[in-house]
Amino acid sequence: MKLYVKARSSYRSDLEEISIKKELKQKYKLDTRRKDDFIHAGILGALRLQEQSEVHSCDELYLTSGVGNCNIVQTAKESVYDNKEIMKLFDFINILGNTTSFYVAKALGITAKSLFQISDNFTYFHSLINIYASLQHSKNEAVFGAIDVVSEDISIIKRVLGVEASVSVVSSVCYQKLSLQNKDAQAELEFDTIFYSLDEVLAIIKEEDIQVICSQRCRALEGVKPLVFFETYGASVVNELIEKQENALFIECYNEKYKILKIRAKV
Amino acid sequence: MRAFINSYESQSCVGDTKSLMSAIYEKRSAISIDNSYMSDTPVGLGMMEYEDFFVSLNAVVSKVLADSNLENFKNTLLIVGSSVGGMAESESHYFKDKNYKNIDPSRHAISVIEESLQKEFHFCGVRSISTACTSSANAFLLAKRLINVAAYENVLVVGADALCYTTVCGFYALSVLSSKICTPFSEGREGMNVAEAIAAVLVQNRQTEESIELCGVGASSDAYHMTNPDPEAGGAVASMSKALEDAGLEAEQIDYVNAHGTGTQANDNVEALAVEKLFNGVSVSSTKAITGHTLGAAGALEAIISCESIKQGKIPPQTNMQTQENNNINIPLNVVTQKINYVVSNSFAFGGNNTSVIFGGLK
Repeated sequence: MKLYVKARSSYRSDLEEISIKKELKQKYKLDTRRKDDFIHAGILGALRLQEQSEVHSCDELYLTSGVGNCNIVQTAKESVYDNKEIMKLFDFINILGNTTSFYVAKALGITAKSLFQISDNFTYFHSLINIYASLQHSKNEAVFGAIDVVSEDISIIKRVLGVEASVSVVSSVCYQKLSLQNKDAQAELEFDTIFYSLDEVLAIIKEEDIQVICSQRCRALEGVKPLVFFETYGASVVNELIEKQENALFIECYNEKYKILKIRAKV
Repeated sequence: MRAFINSYESQSCVGDTKSLMSAIYEKRSAISIDNSYMSDTPVGLGMMEYEDFFVSLNAVVSKVLADSNLENFKNTLLIVGSSVGGMAESESHYFKDKNYKNIDPSRHAISVIEESLQKEFHFCGVRSISTACTSSANAFLLAKRLINVAAYENVLVVGADALCYTTVCGFYALSVLSSKICTPFSEGREGMNVAEAIAAVLVQNRQTEESIELCGVGASSDAYHMTNPDPEAGGAVASMSKALEDAGLEAEQIDYVNAHGTGTQANDNVEALAVEKLFNGVSVSSTKAITGHTLGAAGALEAIISCESIKQGKIPPQTNMQTQENNNINIPLNVVTQKINYVVSNSFAFGGNNTSVIFGGLK
């Protein structure tokens, strides 16, 4: 299976010191009321993508996240049970995953389908497979957004994600415009539905002889590993490789099963 | 590659699938009026009987496996649709402790359902979709696309949502709850009944004599308002039209529309208008006066109702109709016995997230 990246946008809290809310208000003149940090982050990434590439109303929207909108769940519970208030209307609405996709669809003018998928393993791979299957049918292009926003209580997120306490968990928003067509593509992504064993992965690495980038979960593998973690790290790797115009194998692991993404971004 | 439904089972406030269909055809609602969530305000809810939601979840999926041709789920992808996942369990910890310290994050998130099933049944892969009331309908959309491109041979779609304070109080805050059994498509309707359910449907690339075909799927975004649908019904018409196009069918070939029909003012107005615009006299009814609105499970539960109506050749009547609001659509008040070739099942969610799925009997 192959998909082509036509455009991209990135935001990482450890690389860029901005107030997302302020950026949305000042630069994009957006009404930020009633939305929370997670939704703001999703909209920022989408608008940055739109600056790079035209988004059509028939483009399909896929948003994904490792742990979803954790903060709003905590806020909603506190208002109801600590403060003895009725659940606030917008707290409830913002808990729902499709609220984020609604705001993003509205910001981009997308009227085709929109999906919000949460997964705490192989999140980026799952989305690529889903998008590939869907675009084979529709022949349209897809806007993909990976949103991971760090909660105030990072220890909970680390427990959910199963990463070591010493690893720094950061917020990240990566968008990509994906297509089945390679015309004007910035990168080619090759992937499959197979789960590989460690031995198989090692054999593939030896055979391919290109740089290997692993997620923090690939403890048994040697290769470039990030000092930070977020569930949709694979999307960020792709955007960085496009920036550097490099090729690589990205390897993700969960429960001793591996998945491999071949990224060709070298001109 | 075509996609076929070969095995399914459900558990809702009505009971299992057999009890569900009996209740639908006998117009026997299982909604109860409850004061336990909000002491001052009675609301109609669809409450299942169970000690542990996850035990019931495993039982439903075990039944689907037992009824299938599969020995195990090792070559099967699991796609879960849920709106709130493990929220009910987290709430119970919070009530007890008044803090989050004892909440097990692995049993809180939307993906807790897939993880729980994965531990028990060892699927070849898992996905969770959370698009509120279209969650499991969107799971069918993905299942069909993935089978179409031969990415997987078998996909198990599971819709599951348990009642919790977050949803009951949240919908109350939106002023869309009914204090009695909901009255879809009736004039002066009060609102919806929040409910819980588990529904599991095995979709395969393999056809049997008993198969129902997953013929078409369509989806759209209104991008109009965060809770209200587009009043011109553009999104609802688009999702049904795309499903028809995907199935290669004309509107006249559809025998029954299993409506989303929540009983809220906004949904039923717009859905009735969409059916009026697209179809000419097709039978349409909502089964939510029987089951309540099972949120993320609704798409899968109503897929089973659609499959059963095709198999039994009986169109579900509208239960609890008072005075029909839109008289330009055909809502049967009694069971209609006829050959049913194709059924459209609608699921619509906040933010104008619309999904329509078409099921067909094999000729």
